[in-house]
Amino acid sequence: MAQRAITINVNGTEHPVQIDTLDRLIDVLRDQLNLKSVKEGCSTGDCGICAVLVDGKLVNSCLMLAAQCDGRRVTTLEGLLEDPIMKRMQGIFITNNAAQCGFCTPAMLMASWDLARHSPEPSSEEIKVAISGILCRCTGYYQIIDSIREGCGRGKR
Amino acid sequence: MSTLELYSPTDLSDALRFLEHGGGNVTVMASGTDLLPRMRRKQVSPATVVDISSFTEDLRYIRQSDGTIHVGALTTITDLLESPMFYGKLSIIREAGMLFGAPQVRNVATVGGNICSATSSEDLIPVFMALDANVKLVRAGGERTVPLKNFIVGKRETALEPHEMLAEVSLSPPGGHGWAAYEKLGRRNMLIVAIVNEALSLTLEDDLRTIRSARVALNRVSGRIPGLAVKTNDFLSGKKVTDQTITQARRVLASELSLTSDFRGSGAYRTEVAQVYLGRLMERCARQIGGPS
Repeated sequence: MAQRAITINVNGTEHPVQIDTLDRLIDVLRDQLNLKSVKEGCSTGDCGICAVLVDGKLVNSCLMLAAQCDGRRVTTLEGLLEDPIMKRMQGIFITNNAAQCGFCTPAMLMASWDLARHSPEPSSEEIKVAISGILCRCTGYYQIIDSIREGCGRGKR
Repeated sequence: MSTLELYSPTDLSDALRFLEHGGGNVTVMASGTDLLPRMRRKQVSPATVVDISSFTEDLRYIRQSDGTIHVGALTTITDLLESPMFYGKLSIIREAGMLFGAPQVRNVATVGGNICSATSSEDLIPVFMALDANVKLVRAGGERTVPLKNFIVGKRETALEPHEMLAEVSLSPPGGHGWAAYEKLGRRNMLIVAIVNEALSLTLEDDLRTIRSARVALNRVSGRIPGLAVKTNDFLSGKKVTDQTITQARRVLASELSLTSDFRGSGAYRTEVAQVYLGRLMERCARQIGGPS
């Protein structure tokens, strides 16, 4: 019995999926639901590139079994593309060249969006903490931090 | 296709019933942030995993009664940080929580999982040991409470019996003239496994100079096993807080640690950092209590 049927609400749509017991959330999101904004980096929770929201909380989708998400609500970047805070944040990232290779950008945007919702005027320290779980190997952190500050600020107006 | 059997209990009693009858090679999983990568690397190969994240209500709480704080095993690190309980004499828990992993790990990683993983990378173990915490272990039809220091019996080895699981940690703030503090060294500030992770709970007599009790705990006392620095704690008891006492205590600490080297740091380096932290923690605690440092 290494298979099971679960239903995950992803980006507002109920998805009944058949999974292997060892499948992680990232496996289902990428391979079954074709949501490629969710990247796989280290697979051990060290890089944070696979960050998504589960029931509104930022989590690493490589550190969660898909089975643990049965009946829960998952949000990926694809589900926020029309969200006003995300649209603004994304635009500012583009204007400020906050993406170099772009591999960490979806996760950075998810963490930024999560921060912007709770904190309209975050300090630099708060921004650094918010993205502390996501590694940018291009190390263009300052453009990212400045963009988040700008994105959060306008998000409140 | 994996052959892993995954059981998702509906509540605590369902989980305990399953553990009672589940057979051998069963592992309890909370969030899975530690277990999952280890299963994928084949460092562990349980036949059955009981996923207790399937229910949280029974074991996700922070309650206070008679000065003791009870933390349910499925309480997340974010829950600790958002709780009003961990300020003042228990701000050590917030200190450790803020250096634990990163936000998206803290959002799911649990207090019980951190303790049951029972190795040197688990940040909360030294903190809870310094606070002389107890853990409540439950099984179908019974429970027992044991001191955390007796619960960790080796690297990734605990006193849990096959049918038991950890349900709660209970702890009290340092009494009287007391304070507790925490230091963690990693190669960067966040999202890092500690090279040295050290906690101290210090209580002084009414003269604010004499040590009534000192409990130092580290992520490693020997090999990769977290524990109390028993000899150092014995040495400090009854001494005055002076530079000389701290210098002597640092020597005792070095003599009782038996630390190994790995890619994170050498045994000698770890020992030196542990000594520096001992001095720093003594000073921080003594200053907070209001005595001479």
